[in-house]
Amino acid sequence: MSTSTPAMAATSAPDLPPSRPSASNRRDRRARDRRRFATRSLLNLFLLVGAFTMIVPFLWMIFTSLKSPAELALFPPTFWPQEWRWENYPEALAAAPFHIYFRNSFIIAFSHTAITLVFASMAGYALARIPFRGREWIFMGIVAMLMIPTYSKIVPQFLIVRFMPLFGGNDILGQGGTGWLNSWWALIIPGGLSASAIFLFRQFYLSLPKELEEAARLDGLGEYRIFAQIYTPLVKPALATVGLLTFQDSWNNFLWPLLVTTSDNLRVIQVGLAVFQQLEGTAWGYLMAGTTLATVPMVLLFLFCQKYFVQGFANAGIK
Amino acid sequence: MSSRTSRTRRGAAGLTAALALTLGACSAGGDAGGGGDAAPGEVSGDITLLTPIYEGTEGQRLLEDELLPQFYEQYPDVTVTVDYTTYGQLNEKLTTAVASGLIPDVMMMGVGWIEGFADRGILANLSEDAGYTQADLEEDYAPQIVEAGMWEESVYALPIMLDTRVGVARMDLLAEAGYDHTPTSWEELREMAIALTERDASGTLQRTGFDIMSTDLRQGFETMFFSSGGSLFNEDFTEPTFNSPEGVETLQFLVDLVNTDGVEDIGFTSTDAEVNPLLNGRAAMGIAHNSLWTQAEEAAPDVMEHLQPFTIPGEVPGMFFGGTMASVAAGSDHPEAAQALTEFLASPDAALAANEQRGNVPALTELLDSDYVQGNVMVQFAMENLDVAQREGGPPAWLEIRGDIKPAIEAALLQQQTPQEALDTLAAGAQAAIDR
Amino acid sequence: MVLAAADGTGTALTAEATPAATGPMAALTGRLRGSRRRPPRVTPSRSGRKTRRAGWLMVAPTIAHIGLWTLIPVIATFALSLTDYSVFDAPAWIGLDNYIEIINDPAFRKATWNTIVYTFWTVPVSMAIAVVIAVMLNQKLRLQNWYRAAFFLPQVTATVAIAMVWLWMFNPQTGLVNGILAVVGIPGQAWLVDPEWALWAVILVGVWQGIGMKMLIYIAALQNIDENLYEAASLDGASAVRKFFAITLPMLKPATFFVFVISIIGAFQVFDQVYVLTDGGPANATTMMTYEVYRAAFQDFRMGLACAQSVLLFAFLLVMTLISRRATRGDEE
Repeated sequence: MSTSTPAMAATSAPDLPPSRPSASNRRDRRARDRRRFATRSLLNLFLLVGAFTMIVPFLWMIFTSLKSPAELALFPPTFWPQEWRWENYPEALAAAPFHIYFRNSFIIAFSHTAITLVFASMAGYALARIPFRGREWIFMGIVAMLMIPTYSKIVPQFLIVRFMPLFGGNDILGQGGTGWLNSWWALIIPGGLSASAIFLFRQFYLSLPKELEEAARLDGLGEYRIFAQIYTPLVKPALATVGLLTFQDSWNNFLWPLLVTTSDNLRVIQVGLAVFQQLEGTAWGYLMAGTTLATVPMVLLFLFCQKYFVQGFANAGIK
Repeated sequence: MSSRTSRTRRGAAGLTAALALTLGACSAGGDAGGGGDAAPGEVSGDITLLTPIYEGTEGQRLLEDELLPQFYEQYPDVTVTVDYTTYGQLNEKLTTAVASGLIPDVMMMGVGWIEGFADRGILANLSEDAGYTQADLEEDYAPQIVEAGMWEESVYALPIMLDTRVGVARMDLLAEAGYDHTPTSWEELREMAIALTERDASGTLQRTGFDIMSTDLRQGFETMFFSSGGSLFNEDFTEPTFNSPEGVETLQFLVDLVNTDGVEDIGFTSTDAEVNPLLNGRAAMGIAHNSLWTQAEEAAPDVMEHLQPFTIPGEVPGMFFGGTMASVAAGSDHPEAAQALTEFLASPDAALAANEQRGNVPALTELLDSDYVQGNVMVQFAMENLDVAQREGGPPAWLEIRGDIKPAIEAALLQQQTPQEALDTLAAGAQAAIDR
Repeated sequence: MVLAAADGTGTALTAEATPAATGPMAALTGRLRGSRRRPPRVTPSRSGRKTRRAGWLMVAPTIAHIGLWTLIPVIATFALSLTDYSVFDAPAWIGLDNYIEIINDPAFRKATWNTIVYTFWTVPVSMAIAVVIAVMLNQKLRLQNWYRAAFFLPQVTATVAIAMVWLWMFNPQTGLVNGILAVVGIPGQAWLVDPEWALWAVILVGVWQGIGMKMLIYIAALQNIDENLYEAASLDGASAVRKFFAITLPMLKPATFFVFVISIIGAFQVFDQVYVLTDGGPANATTMMTYEVYRAAFQDFRMGLACAQSVLLFAFLLVMTLISRRATRGDEE
């Protein structure tokens, strides 16, 4: 922390032109360049160290995934595998029907992300920019919904799924059948929208300038078009962030998919990984191989989403 | 304005619905099936099986490609839908199943679960419905194993596989220190543990003489406690008795091992360790699960010949068993089919296959002679000594009590409390749970 | 519950009319002043009604979804907290008995204190680190994308893998943490098994793991800051530090409010890390409120008690959110 602040502060706006360009004192400029090079190097050094501490577990996971049980038994533990046991990967994949699990996880995470991006952004926009009565209460209510832990909400949620009227053999009162249990509905709908996504969207729409909407309203644009055509293109970073976080949450979800399904054809990747952790012991090599494979899509998604982290309304050309 | 009132009403309606759901769910668990000994041909129905074992490709292949086809040969009109879970999430599955009234026809659960679920009317009474008697079962199983599936004199579950914890010694390391036998008393255990412990010049522990940290502390303590001659609860499970003099003595013994004798440091190893320290020479003796053998096969084949299991030598030989049992739901629509499946899964061939797949200890006495058991030193030793094995559990409130045991043991080991204080506090909590 | 109270003010709350930061308060003062429908400054009133209808329509799907899947379970949680519900039997009304039991339960008191300590340290520290790193990573560095990915990695790495690494890092004999301390000459600790230190070890992992998501949100928020502001400030001769405090931080206020509230909620509900790192031990030294909720609900089958614990947790969070709402009032400006 203490080392970071000056480095960051010194470079928070490094690409600004020198304030007095005409004064071409060459020695001055060289000194400045040197200083700038020094702060840059310091910044890079700091970030490298920081990045390394963040990556270590990831590397550890990958290296563990390539070790044999005999090597995992060594003390002190090795960091770098003595011999690279690539067989862990095919063997781990054979330990459960991972192709089904991967497909299911992908379908669920994709659906959750799509639903969230459409409806949460809409709600976030309305809560941030459309003045209507009661919106503060709605907003606070939505935030409050996050404050009850999952473990006490999960049984009532399960009961709602199970007694969903007119589904899965249920009558209009929700009796007689199994409702949404063991169906894609239960996997996709209840987790489709999260209060935190709405909250985040609201905050992003709040941070945009008011002039845009006032101009648009004077031009006679409807609220939906202001939302869809004026503001939402400006919050691409927020879309990328929410999309990424939603996808990841849903990808890592374990308990809910396990509870609401009984068929293996609807189970998800995290359920598959649980196979390696049994009461009798953990198959660390396989577990880490499976975990690595489950993490890779998330890393790729992150790298993909990065390109949306671009200056928002600076490009919009408000004059 | 109107929108607001309607929202309030919706909230109230929601609450009523949630409560109604809960009530409806509970009444759905009610009626017990008739049962009896119907002929295989007449037994039919679609039943569900909830199981924390047989998960993963290997387990599924065993259950669905080998075992169930055999079952269908006998009972062609029954179909089984399997819901796989793991022990880690078994309680969550059971909770939601019970709350929603959709209770699987056949449920597999651990030793210690049965009493609570039987007492609350979730499980079918197999003595009444299927005519199982304690005496019949004792012909096939050791008496304590039969008791693990019983509640109030009736049979509720059939044992399938056992997990055991016993003492294990590395005979090669013992020989280096001049011992040619496993300990024969607590005193000798202590003396040997001290002699076998190695620390380097700076006092850092290199090898523990007796490892109690890689097994769950609750189960490790219980294994020692059983050898002291004590029992966890009184005869009718209405009072905890683990704070008896035997309990205090047991805990004191462990506290002394760690704090006075320096045999093991807290944190030297843990249940999360990649490997049991017996296998990499970081422990000379220890309390271990029977899976140590399969772990050794993979990780350290050359130490297998040196592994010598032993019962903890106290007033009585100490050995701990837990395990997986199969039971039938009280509200099953097809009780005969569910009973047939339970019986089938507990039958010798099916149980043997399940145990072999997981490296566990078969509950059926007759399986001692099987090739699998004879080829696994730990499992064979466990089976040969099943008559002295003891289990945890007893009162229906056991699942509430067991979670508090580990913190209490830790408090004593860390010397925050004396063994007497720690166990008295624990017993008071247990009594409150039993009385609730 | 919360929703019903604002009835009948007749105030058209607009972003301009109220700072909105105080929400309920604003509605209340609006009523006290007896203020009537006050049209928004720009919009004519007819299109204003259309606008309001659009607003409602846009939040309607969300309200329906959250009402069904979250509000009802939350209400059920409140209701069941007054019962002895065990999932086996129908719930019976027992009044405040659950709350009395919780307040007298030393384990839950310990959990509450641990949760407060955990939140107090992890939230501000990881937020400060995250905002600094986000600003750093908003520079045009050659390795920018890779740095960002690296800092985000802990967020996507499975908790079980993270736990495995930290168990190794904290190993008293071979762990990296004691190794580094030894270089500086500080004696090592048995981190995860020493009741004095275990909570700090969990906090350290919490800070470390929490940086990724917060950084991501800050980076996204930084993209919305108009660069002209910085240029104007430079022309006025403002230093980089001054620009950070005068422009960057104020412009990040909406994001900061989000990160702060979400982090507090997340910290108060910390579970996974504790579950895999210490299992609440040693001797309850790292048990947390959510951990007790989990144990009560799914190990002890005491759903009613678990609900009461959840309600207490809810109360803590609500108070803190309202305080932070007051503290950052004007986050919508």
